[in-house]
Amino acid sequence: MPSYIVTLKEDATDEQIAAAKKQAQEQGGKIGHEYGIIKGFQVIFPEGSVHSLDSNEHVKAVEADGEQQPYSSRHAPKEPSTSHPPRDAEHGRRHARRSEAEDQVPMLAKQPLHSLSLADLVKHGRPPLSAEALLSSARFTLSLLPIRLAHRIQALRNLPYIVVSNKNISKIYNNYQHSLSTLLPWQGRTISNLEDEIRFTEVLAELVQTHTDTIPILARGFLECRKYISATEVTRFLDEHLRARIGTRLVAEQHIALHFSSQPHFDPGASPTPCPEHPSYIGVIDTALRPASVVDSCGGFVADICELNYGVRPEWVIDGEADTTFAFVPMHLEYIVTELLKNAFRATVENHMNREPIVITIAAEPPDMRPHASHIGLSLPTETRGAFGGDAIAPLDDNAPGVTIRIRDRGGGISPEVLPHIWGYSFTTFSEADEVLGGDDALSVISNASNGNSSIAGLGYGLPLSRAYAEYFGGGIGVQSLHGWGTDVYLKLKGVGKIE
Amino acid sequence: MPRLSLYNATAPGWLKRTKLVTGMGMGARMALVARRPLLLADRRWLASKTQSQPFVRNSHTQTTTTSHSHSPKWRPASILDEWVAKTARPISLRQLMVFGRSLTESRLITSANYVRTELPTRISHRIRDIQKLPYSVVTNPHINEVYDLYYDAFDTFRKVKEIKTLEDNERLCATIRSTLKAHLTVIPKLAMGILECGELKDPADLDKFMNTILRSRISRRVIAEQHLALTDTFHAPWFSPGAKLAESEFIGEVFLKCIAKEVVERCGEAIKEITQRAYGPSVQMPEIKIEGHLDASFPYILSHLEYIIGELLRNSVQASVENHQKKKRAGPPPPIQVTIVESNQNVIIRISDQGGGIPRDILPYLWSFSKGPASAQILNNLGQVPKLAATMQELQLGDGQDQGGGGVFSSTLQPNHGNSLASLSSRPPNLRLGMGLPLSRVYAEYWAGSLELENLEGYGADAFLKISKLGNKNEQLTTRATMDAI
Repeated sequence: MPSYIVTLKEDATDEQIAAAKKQAQEQGGKIGHEYGIIKGFQVIFPEGSVHSLDSNEHVKAVEADGEQQPYSSRHAPKEPSTSHPPRDAEHGRRHARRSEAEDQVPMLAKQPLHSLSLADLVKHGRPPLSAEALLSSARFTLSLLPIRLAHRIQALRNLPYIVVSNKNISKIYNNYQHSLSTLLPWQGRTISNLEDEIRFTEVLAELVQTHTDTIPILARGFLECRKYISATEVTRFLDEHLRARIGTRLVAEQHIALHFSSQPHFDPGASPTPCPEHPSYIGVIDTALRPASVVDSCGGFVADICELNYGVRPEWVIDGEADTTFAFVPMHLEYIVTELLKNAFRATVENHMNREPIVITIAAEPPDMRPHASHIGLSLPTETRGAFGGDAIAPLDDNAPGVTIRIRDRGGGISPEVLPHIWGYSFTTFSEADEVLGGDDALSVISNASNGNSSIAGLGYGLPLSRAYAEYFGGGIGVQSLHGWGTDVYLKLKGVGKIE
Repeated sequence: MPRLSLYNATAPGWLKRTKLVTGMGMGARMALVARRPLLLADRRWLASKTQSQPFVRNSHTQTTTTSHSHSPKWRPASILDEWVAKTARPISLRQLMVFGRSLTESRLITSANYVRTELPTRISHRIRDIQKLPYSVVTNPHINEVYDLYYDAFDTFRKVKEIKTLEDNERLCATIRSTLKAHLTVIPKLAMGILECGELKDPADLDKFMNTILRSRISRRVIAEQHLALTDTFHAPWFSPGAKLAESEFIGEVFLKCIAKEVVERCGEAIKEITQRAYGPSVQMPEIKIEGHLDASFPYILSHLEYIIGELLRNSVQASVENHQKKKRAGPPPPIQVTIVESNQNVIIRISDQGGGIPRDILPYLWSFSKGPASAQILNNLGQVPKLAATMQELQLGDGQDQGGGGVFSSTLQPNHGNSLASLSSRPPNLRLGMGLPLSRVYAEYWAGSLELENLEGYGADAFLKISKLGNKNEQLTTRATMDAI
C-alpha cells in the first residue's frame, strides 16, 4: 500500500491541517503518523487509488514515503508505532547485504590506494596478448579493484545519514556494495587459467555496466538532499569521487578491452567497451589519436543538437597543427570535447553570433630534447612511476609531449556572477525559485541526459567532470572569459608517452 | 610589547643593573614604561650584550662569516618603530583625481601634507621588511645599497615639518624630485640582489618580498609624482584655481581617458622601432591587429599602462620574429591579435600571438623574480641596465641614440620626472631582464586589476590584462596586518 507524507505550509492553521486530513480520508486514505514538528501527516492510500491532495492550497508537498524519511518518526511525540515493523523489515532487507561486506570494507579501505600509472595499463603488452600476459593483466586488475571500491564505499559511509538514506544515493551505495561482493570471492584465489579469466572479465563487464549511470543518479540524489548538506561538502565529495571513478573504470575497461582484442578471444566487436580493431590501440588507449578528428566528429554531433533545438548550425574552424597525434584515451577526449563544444556552441547561438565560427587551435608541444627523456618499452618495468598528485595517473614520461587545444568563441563570455561557480556542480546551487517554477525541470534535464536524450542545456557537471578527466592524466582546463565578447577555453592534455 | 614592571623582582636584569632604576623618580619610571627612546647609556649596554638585534648596530660588530666585510650604519631604532606602527592610508585613482579637479592652494597644501606623512610611513614598512630578511641577504651589496637608499629617504622625509605655505611646498617638491632621481636604480638592483641570493632564501619568500616592495614603491611614486604634477599644474601660466579640466587632459599623472586602442597603437609603433633596431631594418614584423570595443576608455596612470602593454607587445613581437626565423618560412610572421573588450566594470585587453609559446622548462619561473636555469644570463643582462637607468634621465638610449625625448614612453603628452619605467622599456629587446611579466603584473594588480597568461606550447601565448574601469578601487597595498598574518 503506497504511503505518502503530506507536508503543509508553515502558516497552515490547525483547522487547515484537519481539513487536509479529512480530504485525504474522503479519498480513501488512512491517516498514519501525525507529525508535531512539521505540519504534516502520513497517509496510506489503497493501491491504485488517485488522490488530489497536492491541489489543496495549504499543502506544501506530497512525498512518497519510502527509504527517505527526513523527519523520522522518532520525532513524532506520541504516536503508537503502528507501521514500524514493516519498515524495520525493509530496513533489514536493505541493509542485509551490509553484513557480508561489512567486515571487509574497513579493512580494505585502510589499505593504501595503488598509485596508478599508465605504464601499469600498457605493461602487459600490445594486443593480441599471450595467455600469460592476459592472466597477468587479470591478476593485476583484481589486485586493485576491491581496494578502490572499498575506499568509495567508505567515503559514501562518511556522508550524513540523511543523505545516504536518499533513495538515489542509496541506490549508488548499494551498487558499490554489490560490486564489491562480486569481487570478494575472487580475492582468495589466483586467476591461473583461461576459464577463470573469462569469468572474471564477465564480472568486470557487469561492474562497468552497473555503474554507468552513477553520475546522473548521484546528481539527482544530491539535488534532492540539498537542504541537508552544504554545496561545499557536495563539491568536495564529488570531486574526489569522480576522479576515483575515472581510475576504477579505466582499469576495468582496459582489461576488458585487452581481453576482447587478444587471442583466442579475438572479437573486438563483442566488447562492451570500445576497443576498435586498430593496430594503434592498446586496450582503450589509442597511441595515435588525432585530436582534430575528435573535434570534427564531436562538433558534428553537437551541431546536430543545435540544429534540433535552435534551428541553427554553428560552424567551426581548426587551425594550428591539425595533424598532430598523441597517445590518449579516446573516450575521455570525446567526452571533454563534446562538453566544451556544447558550451561554446550554445553561447554562440544564444548570443546571435552564429556567423562567427568557433576557432579551435591545436598546439603540439615540441618533443623534449633532453637526454633523459625516456620512452617506454613494453617489458615489465622495474619500478612503477609515482602518482601525479593524488589519484591521478602519472604519464609514462613526465616530459611526454602533450597537446593544448584552445576553443575560442564569440558567445558573449561568462558573466562575473556566474564565473565563480562554473567549476561547481550546478545542481547544488539551485534556488528555491527554480523549484517553484516547475520543480521537475532540473531533474528532468538530468534524467533526460541519462536516458541519452540530447539536451543542449548545461547539465551542471560537464565542466567539473571534464576537468577531472583532463587532470587525471596530468593536464587541466583553463577558462578565460571576456564578458561582452566571448570565451577562451584551454584544454591541456599531457601525452601518455611514447610507446615502442 | 613586554610590560616592564618596576615594582617587582621580575624586571629584566639589565634594567635593574643600570643606574636608571635605582636613582629614578616616579616620573622617570613612568617614562620608561611608556617606552621613551633609549638613552645612550643603555643603548651601549644593550649593544654589547645582544649581538643579533638587527637595528642596533655599532661599528664594532664586524662580520667574518660573509665574504664582504660589512659595517652597518648606526641608526636609532625606535624612530623607525614609531613609523612602522602607523598604517598606510590607501588611495584610489578617483581620489587622486578629486584632488586635482578643483585645485586650490589649500588643496595643494593638503596634498603636500598627505605626501609628507605617507611617504615615510610606507617606506618605514619596507625598511622593516628588509631588516627581517636574513643577514646574509641584506649584506648582499645590491640589497644593501637599496636598504641605505631607503633609510636615507626615510630620514629625509620624516624630518620635514608641517607644510603651511607654498614656499614650504616648493622645498618639499625639490626633496621629492631628488629622491625620485636617486631611486631610479632600485628595481634593477633589487632584481640582481634577488638573483644572487637565490640560495640563501626560499624563492617563494623572495618573490613575496619583491612583490611587496615593488607594490609599495609604485604607491610611493604615484603619490609623489602626482603631487609634483599637481604643483606644476598649479604654477602653470594657463592655470586658474578652480578651473574645470577637460576630459582629455591629465589630472596630475592620471590620464582621465586612456583610450585602449590608442595606447596599443602607440606602443606597437614604439616596439616596431625597437625591434628594427635590434634585428636590423629589414626584419619582417608581425602585424598588430586590433579588434573589439575600439572606443573603450578608462582613467589610469598612462606610464603604467604603457609599460604593461609595452612589455606584453615586446614579448609577443620578439617571440613571433624569432619563432618565424627559426622555422624559416616565407613572408611575415603571423599577426598578433589584440582584442579590447569593455564591460560594466572592466576593460580587458587580450594579446594573442603565434610566437611558439613558452617552453616548459622556464614556465615555472615566468612570474617569479628568481629565474632558475636562466639566472646567470639574466644577472649578466641586469648588470648592463643600471647604467641605462641611471643615464636615461632624459630618456636617451645608453648607446647615445637620441629618440627625441624617449619616444612614446616619455609620455610626451606631459612632463615626466625621470620616469624609470620608460628607461626600462626602451632597452633593446634582446637584453632580457626577466622582469617584464612579474613587474607588469605588480602594476596591473596595484589598481585592482589582473594579468594572466595562457600558454599554447608549440604555437603561441595569450595574455589577458584586466583593468578596473571605474577608478574607485583602492590601491592594493600590503598592509602590516596582512604581512604579519602571512
